[in-house]
Amino acid sequence: MPAASGKRFKPSKYVPVSAAAIFLVGATTLFFAFTCPGLSLYISPVIPVYNAVVFLFVLANFSMATFMDPGIFPRAEEDEDKEDDFRAPLYKTVEIKGIQVRMKWCATCRFYRPPRCSHCSVCDNCVEEFDHHCPWVNNCIGRRNYRYFFLFLLSLTTHIMGVFGFGLLYVLYQVEELSGVRMAVTMVVMCVAGLFFIPVAGLTGFHVVLVARGRTTNEQVTGKFRGGVNPFTNGCCKNVSRVLCSSPAPRYLGRPKAEQTVLVRPPFLRPEVSDGQITVKIMDNGIQTELKRTKSKGSLEVTESQSADAEPPPPPKPDLSRYTGLRTHLTLATNEDSSLLGKDSPPTPTMYKYRPGYSSSSSSAALPHSTSAKLSRVNSLKEPNSICESSRKPSYRSEPSLEPESFRSPTFGKSFHFDPLSSGSRSSSLKSAQGTGFEMGHLQSIRSEGTTSTSYKSLVNQTRNGSLSYDSLLTPSDSPDFESVQAGPEPDPPVGYTSPFLSARIAQQRETDLHGRFAGAISPKHAPPREPSPVRYDNLSRHIVASIQEREKLLQQPPAPGREEDVGLADSGIQSTPGSSNAPRTSSSSDDSKRSPLGKNPLTRPAPPRFGKPEPPQALRVRSLGSPDQPAAPHLGKSVSYSSQKPASQASVPEMEEVALQPLLAPKDEVQMRTAYSKSNGQPKSLGSAPPGPGQVPLSSPTRGGVKKVSGVGGTTYEISV
Amino acid sequence: MALLPGPPAPQQGCPAPDGCSPPPHPAAPQVHSLQELRRSASLATKVFVQRDYSDGTTCQFQTKFPPELESRIERQLFEETVKTLNGFYAEAEKIGGSSYLEGCLACATAYFIFLCMETHYEKVLKKISKYIQEQNEKIYAPRGLLLTDPLERGMRVIEISIYEDRCSSGSSSSGSSSSSSGGGGGGAGGR
Repeated sequence: MPAASGKRFKPSKYVPVSAAAIFLVGATTLFFAFTCPGLSLYISPVIPVYNAVVFLFVLANFSMATFMDPGIFPRAEEDEDKEDDFRAPLYKTVEIKGIQVRMKWCATCRFYRPPRCSHCSVCDNCVEEFDHHCPWVNNCIGRRNYRYFFLFLLSLTTHIMGVFGFGLLYVLYQVEELSGVRMAVTMVVMCVAGLFFIPVAGLTGFHVVLVARGRTTNEQVTGKFRGGVNPFTNGCCKNVSRVLCSSPAPRYLGRPKAEQTVLVRPPFLRPEVSDGQITVKIMDNGIQTELKRTKSKGSLEVTESQSADAEPPPPPKPDLSRYTGLRTHLTLATNEDSSLLGKDSPPTPTMYKYRPGYSSSSSSAALPHSTSAKLSRVNSLKEPNSICESSRKPSYRSEPSLEPESFRSPTFGKSFHFDPLSSGSRSSSLKSAQGTGFEMGHLQSIRSEGTTSTSYKSLVNQTRNGSLSYDSLLTPSDSPDFESVQAGPEPDPPVGYTSPFLSARIAQQRETDLHGRFAGAISPKHAPPREPSPVRYDNLSRHIVASIQEREKLLQQPPAPGREEDVGLADSGIQSTPGSSNAPRTSSSSDDSKRSPLGKNPLTRPAPPRFGKPEPPQALRVRSLGSPDQPAAPHLGKSVSYSSQKPASQASVPEMEEVALQPLLAPKDEVQMRTAYSKSNGQPKSLGSAPPGPGQVPLSSPTRGGVKKVSGVGGTTYEISV
Repeated sequence: MALLPGPPAPQQGCPAPDGCSPPPHPAAPQVHSLQELRRSASLATKVFVQRDYSDGTTCQFQTKFPPELESRIERQLFEETVKTLNGFYAEAEKIGGSSYLEGCLACATAYFIFLCMETHYEKVLKKISKYIQEQNEKIYAPRGLLLTDPLERGMRVIEISIYEDRCSSGSSSSGSSSSSSGGGGGGAGGR
């Protein structure tokens, strides 16, 4: 036999089909040539006609069974089995009519074989409803050609019976002489027919039973349903009709490829996210992880509840994404930006420290953070305005004109029009989180923000008072470390922030967004070079701001050298939290890439709650522990930047701490905070005493041993030495 | 399927400082200049909607909403699409008078009739293909998604390609390569 060609021609596999063809055609031809003339002459001319018809039928079905695609599955493409390589199980179970059926992974075809599908080793293909590989037709018998195979068997049986019968008739009738050629040929044909009749009839009977039972040869031979129930049967009649009367299934291979004429072009529509639909998934971009880790379920819940409640239609995507860090997956676009957020240190309530007097505006700024979902709740802000008025006035006084920072606003404002104040439809979480006290402050901040400077106007317009930027909070005189810290004398009392979570996030967001942008702009404002700190005081509660102011005064005294350490310790405590943040990632797969950098972040540096912007090195270099003016760690100290680089900063640092911590606290803790503030105001903190533990007390725990643990946004615990 | 980036349009702040050269011929291999690649969509990921075998081997797809589409398309739109497809497939596989007659006719003509006539199943598949195209045009493509006819995948999955908005060049090359590879895979499958 000829040697292999490129495709390894295997002649052996064609032997059975050739033999079958030869026997079939040859014998029938002989029958027609030698037997039929006599029969037609002496008995009836119908006989040859009948036999011809049957023979034609046999041939047709034989051809179809041989040449028709049995239902070969095309190989799965690369991207379909991306997850199925190493970790995927070999079997997948599926329930069919209450019966568990296993689907096996086909390594060749790279998919899980559908039920009743099997891989033919001869053809090296997975075949749908695989019956068997028939050597006589040299083809697999599957879904598409089983009918033709079955009919071939039936018709072949009929044909054999006919040939044998009519040959016998011819012989018995002795129409001609027995010794004649015709007689001999007829007898040969009869022998062949008789010989083949037994296996063919047997096979036919076998398949008749299979069809009636609704099984395939494969299933019967492997005993799949032996003693069990066949989930693929619909009853005898339906099974038969399904085999014989159903429309021929289409082939999968060899189809003309349809040209895709549909253009996919951005911009893409995004679905409107209704309140009830938003599934807030706190992305583990480093911020949340810390928060969650630490502990307090309580604080975490607050956070989550807040975000869960915030479900306004998402703001324009690009903006929205900035603040996703803690938010959710409102849109896919957010994912990219979440990474930004993740990289930053968690939002720190530090901003509060720096802007004691600025209560309302800061809180409102904080709000947008958490309410990423609430972004579009512009409406609700209206209410606060009225409330703000009364309480707000003082806060604007000291607000510096932060024109340079105004550029932040667009970012900030764009991203959300949150309605921090809980009014009706607004995220109830805010309400719950903060209570009315915050509202007031928040309102104030909102109002103040709105009216403060032209730079805010855009914010206000966009965010509807919701996104008060920190800009107003920045005062040039502020401690250099904290760029946005307006800790100075004139800070407005912080408007009650809506929630610690919000504030933290806002800070974080701000920081992220504005980090780059403001770096240049803000630095000139402050003498020491430091990164722009988009910490916003919007959310600072009045109390916080007030306490900050208090403390500032108190801290005008010589700053305690130990403060840095304390701060550092506190920071270290915070740092530990991020480490485990990776766990609660709920984002979609697209977030994975984003998450990873986030996950690393906390570990690399102390990751206090993100406030968007790391404090200027000096003030917040808690970690650096005494290295003043470290421009480097922007993310670090936000939450607990107590760096005591400068007296001013030091003074503000503790306040910042506390203020910063405040947003993290639940409303109920505000009171505690205040007490804590008062305590801490007078003394430089020695944080060193107790390393903050991640699982520590949830919201501000009473000071003990000079270390106060405050829960930050999302449950991060900060220890502040008081 | 060919992903046609289309002429870039500066929107949403996407800078397109250079002019936009005319887009390449859709059928040509995806070679783009930088300008052309601006503001194009690139394939981000694919979601596979698996078959629902709860009723046997009849062709039905799961109507469970994939989480990856959470933020891309409304739930009910997707479910409606899948349910319509399921209805189409049920109709194709329906055993009734028409399919029986078709079988008889085929037998009578020794299956030569298949050379001239389309089977009932094929007719429904054409309807399905048209439906999918229409869905793509109206609903999915504007959302950066693309449905693939399950027939190309052996009716095992409905493949939904998710595209991301890319403002910078270079990303569409990956999109085009995936689309061309997808086309190549499909062509290879058509052997």
